[in-house]
Amino acid sequence: MRKMTDLISINCVKLLISALFYTCVLCSSVEQKIYVVLNETVPCVRLLNATHQIGCQSSISGDTGVLHVLETESDLDWILSSGPHPPYMVIMETAFFNRSVMMRMKNSSRVAGVAVIISKTGLADNFSPHTTCPNQNTGVYSESYGSDLANCNGTVWNPLGNGLSYEDFSFPVFALKDENQTQVLRKCYEDHNQRVNGSAPQYPLCAMQLFSHMHAVTDTVTCMRRTDLQNRFSINPEVLCDPLSDFNVWTSTRPLNNSAKGHAADESVVIAATRLDGRSFFWEQAPAAEGTVSGIVTLLATIQALYPVTQEAPPPRNIFFSFFQGEAFDYIGSSKMVYDMEKNDFVIDMNNVHSMLEIGQVGLLSGRSLWMHSDPVSRQNKSVDTEVSEMMSRIQSAAAGLKLTVDHPSVSQPLPPSSFQRFLRARRIPGLVLADHNTSFTNRYYESMYDDAENLNVTYPPGLTPDEQLVYETDAAKSLAEVATLVARSLYLQAGGEENNLNNITADPKIVAQLLYGFLVQKNNSWFRSLLPPEVTKKGVNSILSPGPPQFYIGLGPRVHGPAHSVTRFVQYILANLTGTVTNLTESQCQNPSELSTENKDLFSYFWVSGPASVNGTREPFCVRASVRLSKAVSPAFELLEYGSRNYSTWTESRWKSIRARIFLVASRELERKDAFAGRLSDSPAQRRTSRCAAGWRSVLHSGWDSDCLRHCADHPLLQIKDAFVWR
Amino acid sequence: MDLSRVFFTGNSTMNLERMPNEEKLSLCRRYYLGGFAFLPFLWLVNVLWFFKEAFLKPAYTEQPQIKSYIKKSALGLILWVAVLTTWITIFQHFRARWGEVGDYLSFTIPLGTA
Repeated sequence: MRKMTDLISINCVKLLISALFYTCVLCSSVEQKIYVVLNETVPCVRLLNATHQIGCQSSISGDTGVLHVLETESDLDWILSSGPHPPYMVIMETAFFNRSVMMRMKNSSRVAGVAVIISKTGLADNFSPHTTCPNQNTGVYSESYGSDLANCNGTVWNPLGNGLSYEDFSFPVFALKDENQTQVLRKCYEDHNQRVNGSAPQYPLCAMQLFSHMHAVTDTVTCMRRTDLQNRFSINPEVLCDPLSDFNVWTSTRPLNNSAKGHAADESVVIAATRLDGRSFFWEQAPAAEGTVSGIVTLLATIQALYPVTQEAPPPRNIFFSFFQGEAFDYIGSSKMVYDMEKNDFVIDMNNVHSMLEIGQVGLLSGRSLWMHSDPVSRQNKSVDTEVSEMMSRIQSAAAGLKLTVDHPSVSQPLPPSSFQRFLRARRIPGLVLADHNTSFTNRYYESMYDDAENLNVTYPPGLTPDEQLVYETDAAKSLAEVATLVARSLYLQAGGEENNLNNITADPKIVAQLLYGFLVQKNNSWFRSLLPPEVTKKGVNSILSPGPPQFYIGLGPRVHGPAHSVTRFVQYILANLTGTVTNLTESQCQNPSELSTENKDLFSYFWVSGPASVNGTREPFCVRASVRLSKAVSPAFELLEYGSRNYSTWTESRWKSIRARIFLVASRELERKDAFAGRLSDSPAQRRTSRCAAGWRSVLHSGWDSDCLRHCADHPLLQIKDAFVWR
Repeated sequence: MDLSRVFFTGNSTMNLERMPNEEKLSLCRRYYLGGFAFLPFLWLVNVLWFFKEAFLKPAYTEQPQIKSYIKKSALGLILWVAVLTTWITIFQHFRARWGEVGDYLSFTIPLGTA
């Protein structure tokens, strides 16, 4: 008797193990048979400031909807009112991604999410998701300073802006950048969801599920408070949001002692500044060609032109070059630098600053004329006015020998959004902002995904290899080189240099061309690789040298979600290359130069760089000494713990667990209900065959509505699509 | 107080049928008094367990007292249920609107929703 029971129990155990093995090994392949995962998507994430939340949110288990491609107005009516299978997941053609359509989607309860096709076909003449008046609350113009100029009462800088980036959507919005993937979606739609002769399509229908659940809500104050509470009282603390932060890059013609903070004795400094960042509607996408790259490339070329002359014939004043990060989000970098200067926590302070010249958007010169914007309110002071006029005349005299004309807009016009406004908030220093626009921006794609190389007219003739494209001088490169020469000569004059040295100051168009190629087309090029340290050039997928152009979104400092921020590093190492001197230190000496008496860590930074690749592919790294430094660019509001601050930027980015997208076929609700409660009672041979299939898989179902898909098992139409997509 | 009697409530040997009436009364009283220590579940158990004893059995000497204890336990139970239901409804409805106070009162705060 006992042996029988033992045998039975052993057999039961064997059966159980084999059943588990059967189901567990095969359940993952069942998931692959149901879902087609979309890899090349870009989400829109939630950002918060002191008072609002912007961006998009999905439900915690994803938003699902029946696919519908929005190509015509009748599609819009179908989605919003007449379609019989709400909620819909809208695949939006480029032409329909505008404010009116998105607001209608936002107010409708029949939209589960939107996937926008990003392409140049059907793109409108202009598209700027930014606001019409960028950074209106954190600039210099307010109720107490130029109140008639505040809130763009004087000039509307971005009239084409539709403000989409600053709206709060309660459904996920993803961007489809890969054409092959969009084809998969279209095929699924055409096979299952298309209307036949005006009648509604029948189940099973193609559906898409988007996951982009954001953890933070309401505003930065709430999010930070909840993070603090979690850290103090919870067993498993979770951070809900992170402040946007990164680094500013600065350098100077005469090295400044980095360990001596506060007022620098006998230093009168001319600041030349530009911005380092951009943004768009979607996360981490910001090609920012005209908005940012034009300024960066011009200032880098200026430094390259100016540096040799300032070493041979140094002007009386020091010239301080600064690249500010985070300017798109209420001037994070410049407000931090001004704050440090006022607190005596920086190498110079406001008393050292003589004047400031900022380079705004300078890429789209129409008719070769630049505009010098000044602040009318500070110019009411006689001395400031004289200084500004002298600065303008110096720039005009520098432009005399070049093919550029420089003009100033009407005196009552305010400054465009620029880092100089934050300096003016602290002290009324004389300064100018150089731009290619007189009143409103000439950039029709300001802070959008379409502000790319093509917008800046940087196009290369077909048939060039990447190395040939790297050095090819486009018209845009020549134009920016001219602007850089002008800026360099103006800065030299402004710093008190001699006029007869001016002809030696010329920007090299080849360097400008290389910079444009690296920042707009391909960052993984031979020049950038030679400038960067060896560990960066050797790394794998998560390196800052991944293919394609760099994206200029500021991000979260030590990157929480992705690879290290590339642009700051590039600018730092390019500056080291342009202004540094090669030393013959070894690698260990380069890491610890303080041990050597000839090297001064207070005045210089030391970089171990790869060097150019020789013919057989090897590189000989060497040590470069340059006076290039990084300074932290995080809003002072987070240091002062004033999360609801009105004076400083309070932008944070929410955290999330997973962001993904997938498509599958979905059954009708009645069929799901029938399946869930009744068994397989049908007599048809097809259903009997599939029922055998389905019965075994029922244990691995995690949601009832996949059952219909499983019914078709091997001859699943979605499998064919998936095969076409995967095995290409 | 004999705590072993109080705790062995689910034991099959603890059968009210075989208990003498004085012991039933004392048990009922113990549960009634215990409920005042912010333990409404003791009152719930008291009502459920002794209901048949108090109202459906033929009368015996201790029954009126057991009846009064059951009635008072039921009253206390209803009061607790009313207070808790009101508070839970108010909290769930208004927590988001209370901002800081709501967060300090919460043990776990849901992610991603107000």
